[in-house]
Amino acid sequence: MIQPQTHLNVADNSGARELMCIRIIGASNRRYAHIGDVIVAVIKEAVPNTPLERSEVIRAVIVRTCKELKRDNGMIIRYDDNAAVVIDQEGNPKGTRIFGAIARELRQLNFTKIVSLAPEVL
Amino acid sequence: MAVLITLSFAGAGPDYRFDALKKLGRLEPKLCQSSTKPFSHKWFHCKCFWQEPRSKNLSLKSRELRTLRLARGKEAEDSFSSNVSEDTDDMFDDLFDRYGKVVYQSNDRMSPSIELDDDAESLSFAVEVASVANDVKAGDIKVLFVKPLVYWTRFFIIATAFSRPQIDAIGSRIRDLAETKYGRVPSGDSKPNSWTLLDFGDVVIHIFLPPQRAFYNLEEFYANATPVELPFENQPPFRG
Repeated sequence: MIQPQTHLNVADNSGARELMCIRIIGASNRRYAHIGDVIVAVIKEAVPNTPLERSEVIRAVIVRTCKELKRDNGMIIRYDDNAAVVIDQEGNPKGTRIFGAIARELRQLNFTKIVSLAPEVL
Repeated sequence: MAVLITLSFAGAGPDYRFDALKKLGRLEPKLCQSSTKPFSHKWFHCKCFWQEPRSKNLSLKSRELRTLRLARGKEAEDSFSSNVSEDTDDMFDDLFDRYGKVVYQSNDRMSPSIELDDDAESLSFAVEVASVANDVKAGDIKVLFVKPLVYWTRFFIIATAFSRPQIDAIGSRIRDLAETKYGRVPSGDSKPNSWTLLDFGDVVIHIFLPPQRAFYNLEEFYANATPVELPFENQPPFRG
């Protein structure tokens, strides 16, 4: 359940460390974003000497949420953190590698690029 | 699951006794502090406790039993924990006797022969797609068998195109072939992109521009995958 002002970790090596959600892309007045949704976020903390800087506005895909993700077969997946992957306007990830486990729902939502860079897919 | 159950049993033992101990402590704090001879004191506590709840209400019967058990001292504690493990052992032995011989297999698992057939089909599709990409002059085409590494697909095709129109050409040729010959429709990028991805389920095709290919370096990430030899270097296949 990501909403504006939520802080998220960054699950890639793009150079950003922490994001803050400022808008959820989708319907006009959407309240919460879940795994696989695209958000507009601002970089709150970045690694020095990387292309991305603090206070830059970027797009990101949510890959992990503390709020549980329910599947039709009854499986429930809940992560320890809220994490997102920074993408550009075309949908390509800004980093080259993804960290941590991600959910296979991203593939159905046409983020196969992120899935193919991830070390583990649940 | 079984492990969880046993853990909770083992965990219940000490808590349970600790609970009773606390109650005893509440009743007779002085005696608890001066517990040089644990056995006799505990017995004494127990007696106090025994008399008190009886007069109050009957629902505390289980507590009485607990305290009685406690009263047997350290030996009793040891025997209690061993009892628990014996009980669970017995339970598991019973379960094993009852169900141990039955081996369950999930229904969604395919037999090895069918799986091999599927792999062969995907392989022929992947090789054909690669040869189509070669026809449109895609560079450095690699077909990787990634099934042992990731569960979600079988083959990766990685190719380089040198301009966006070329990416478009490769993508549309592959789409046409898949639709006419195999009846498959890809998901993924519909517009040419610097990294265009076509997802056919068991075969995933990545078409990169040269800088992106070097940037993402997918071959290195999937370095453990077996590369598939492609026929078109020696004898280009015929395409109608």
